Amino acid sequence: MTFSKKWSAPFIVFVIAGTVIPILSIAYYGFTSRDGGITLDNITAMFSANHMQALGLSLLLALVSTLVCLIAAFPMAMVLRDSKFGKQGFTIFVLILPMWMNFLLRTMAWQVLLERAGVINGILQALGLPRQEMMNTPGAVVLGMVYDFLPFMILPIYNAVMKIDSHLIEAAYDLGAGKAYVYRKVILPLCVPGIVSGITMVFIPALTTFVISNMLGGGKVNLIGNIIEQEFTVNSNWYLGSGLSLVMMVFIIISMVLLEKFDKTGEGTFI
Amino acid sequence: MAELIRLENIRKSYGENEVLKNITISIQEKEFVTLLGPSGCGKTTTLRILGGFENPDSGRVLFDGKDITNVPSNQRNLNTVFQNYALFPHMTVGDNVAFGLRVKGMNESDVKEKVHYGLKLVNLEGYENRKISQMSGGQQQRVAMARAIVNEPKVLLLDEPLGALDLKLRQEMQYELVRLKHELGITFIYVTHDQEEALTMSDKVIVMNSGRIQQEGTPEEIYNEPENAFVADFIGDSNILSGKMVRDRLVRINGVDFPCIDGNENGFAPGLDVDVLIRPEDLEIHPAGKGILDAKITSKLFIGMHYEMLAQADTEGDFEWLLQNYDSYEVGSTVGLYVRPENIQIMHKPKTQEEEAIEIDI
Amino acid sequence: MKKFFGNLYIVIIMLFLYLPILTLIVLSFNEAKSMSVFTRFSLKWYGEMFHSKLILGALVNTFSIALLAALIATIIGTMAVIGIDGMKQSTQTVLMGCNNIPMLNADIVTGIALMLSFLMFGISLGYCTILFSHITFCIPYVILSVRPRMNKATDTLFEAALDLGASRGYAFRKVVLPELLPGIASGFLLSFTMSIDDFIITHFTRGAGINTISTLIYSEVKIGIRPSLYALSTVIFLIALVVLLVMNRNNIKNERTAA
Repeated sequence: MTFSKKWSAPFIVFVIAGTVIPILSIAYYGFTSRDGGITLDNITAMFSANHMQALGLSLLLALVSTLVCLIAAFPMAMVLRDSKFGKQGFTIFVLILPMWMNFLLRTMAWQVLLERAGVINGILQALGLPRQEMMNTPGAVVLGMVYDFLPFMILPIYNAVMKIDSHLIEAAYDLGAGKAYVYRKVILPLCVPGIVSGITMVFIPALTTFVISNMLGGGKVNLIGNIIEQEFTVNSNWYLGSGLSLVMMVFIIISMVLLEKFDKTGEGTFI
Repeated sequence: MAELIRLENIRKSYGENEVLKNITISIQEKEFVTLLGPSGCGKTTTLRILGGFENPDSGRVLFDGKDITNVPSNQRNLNTVFQNYALFPHMTVGDNVAFGLRVKGMNESDVKEKVHYGLKLVNLEGYENRKISQMSGGQQQRVAMARAIVNEPKVLLLDEPLGALDLKLRQEMQYELVRLKHELGITFIYVTHDQEEALTMSDKVIVMNSGRIQQEGTPEEIYNEPENAFVADFIGDSNILSGKMVRDRLVRINGVDFPCIDGNENGFAPGLDVDVLIRPEDLEIHPAGKGILDAKITSKLFIGMHYEMLAQADTEGDFEWLLQNYDSYEVGSTVGLYVRPENIQIMHKPKTQEEEAIEIDI
Repeated sequence: MKKFFGNLYIVIIMLFLYLPILTLIVLSFNEAKSMSVFTRFSLKWYGEMFHSKLILGALVNTFSIALLAALIATIIGTMAVIGIDGMKQSTQTVLMGCNNIPMLNADIVTGIALMLSFLMFGISLGYCTILFSHITFCIPYVILSVRPRMNKATDTLFEAALDLGASRGYAFRKVVLPELLPGIASGFLLSFTMSIDDFIITHFTRGAGINTISTLIYSEVKIGIRPSLYALSTVIFLIALVVLLVMNRNNIKNERTAA
């Protein structure tokens, strides 16, 4: 069944106008400087001390968040699979609902909880306990990242787990395997595409965020995303901002290529 | 031969649906037993209860004299070949076959040897490193067999393993299974809806329907002496009619008297309403007027081995006789049908629900 | 026993996900601005929210952009799937690769790149640039939802229709389109969701005068309109709840009867 290729024309227009040209633009700014000459300064700037520090912190926080999400999500998917907790559809519904709340509102909710005059401190005070300084710490940022991205880790892993043919698990038991062995040798390997999907959907946004670090880190937690954003909004140095962005882009592409190596079957399981 | 497996008074329901209604089965060592029946008869459920994947609502499962009803599947000394093979897609053929051995902690060189032996047994020598996705349906089926066999179980459970294969392959595999049975000398419990498979491979066939055992016996007994209309109809081609015993060894079918060999001796008293089975191949075709009754041929099909014809007799009741014969007879011609007394199988009619209820209470 | 811990775990995670939201909802009814002291039940923040031109404007922008972007992206994406299906394998691979780029790129890079190219071409930032950007990142989701449904089974149905005498157009409308519909619907839904929730790309492509809910929250969150935002959260939560309930009512009904 073939239809005219012309149907894809508007799409191609969008690809060119919305993807190709913008990337060329950012490349242009990345490799030029204010006075019009070609330069690599914008790129090498990433390797300066304070940029590397920010990058390092971003990597650390993103990794920690991804790990926490993974550790929290995996048992969740397993338990969901086994349990009749109102059956699957209801639980998915409950998981998706927070995702439909605007993610800034979700982050704002943690501000409300963590601030010095916020809810948690209010409760502590009422109990006669001292107030805690929870805001503007890397911990708060990690908390925000985990909170915002956890459903994105749970869903693909859950999808992958559900796709596992129950006969495979029965066969493993039939061959004498104990529960732990079955998890290790059968369930876990078959979840890998889901895990890869989940990691992709958490690590990359966590690495490049500036919103969460702004709202919960208050300028004290400076991530690479913040620095890039500031180059555009505060410093109006589009050249430097673009250069740094290009480096991030390459970084992300490398991470994704590495992650794809784990998903040999090529099935992502988010959609 | 000693009794190896016993299912006693097994009952199983799923919600409102009573799938097994008091099943008792005894299986001897080294027997090839087939559970045969249509979809939904309970045969797969029975197998799964044996394998430990389902628990019966009541009743016991005995293995070698021991009660294993509540023993989980990974501790039972039997292995299953699943209907869709259930091969681990992320492992190679060799790793699949080795799975059960590695679970037991066998050392690698022994594992390698056994895997090699297992694959050789199913004619897949040298396929250790292939990916499952590269194997054809028939090959996957054999990998599933090898994976079960290498664990040297006392009993092999097979859940319609040949269903997905084409005819020729299925026939080949049937020979393979019988050969394996002789080579391994273990008990095979086989589930299928294909009566040809059941007849070719089994020592004993258990025919099931609606959660009950209809008949148990050798393939010959099941085929030649079905005990009721269901079994008669399920196995082989048949002409099944209602009849009434006239007197000892004479049954009236559609107003025509047929001499038979069943009668008072085996509980078919005069006046009793019965079901009668006559196999198409047992109906002899003679010139019109020279048989027990005359019939007109209404259609004819060439099957290859023989002709299959339908004929309408000018008797009470509207019955289309199914005939099988090496010779062909023209459509529209009238022939005489004759059947020897020993080829008429008289069967008790199935009990009505009230009669059953009374029986159970007793 | 195992089940108990399992279910406990699910409850804990659910609590983790919902407590912050519930906190906002509770606070939205608080008379005082304080986050730690609940003085009196009051609907005044709802009043403020509904009277705030700022908030209402942002709401209108958010939903109109989401609706338009989802609609347009769905049309373009579906058309693309139809057109791509007829191309040779190598072209298909290239186009699908290009299609995936906005999804794989971090939002911040996509947002910056779009902003720069708008400005380079002298296009001033505003509603239209936001819309264009949203359409751009929604199209891949539509294509990924619709494409799998353009498979061999659909091919066979199309051929069956032709065999029965239908014209290509008729066969397409009556046979192929219904097959694609579930994918189109989920693509639309996904686009709508992604657009409503977007912040970073909108942040870079909006210019100065215009706000969506996300950008409004970001810019105003340190100033005092907070409590109105709690009211906003509650309203959005309720809308999401109702929409999801309606969408899932069939599933939930089936499960109730099955259980």
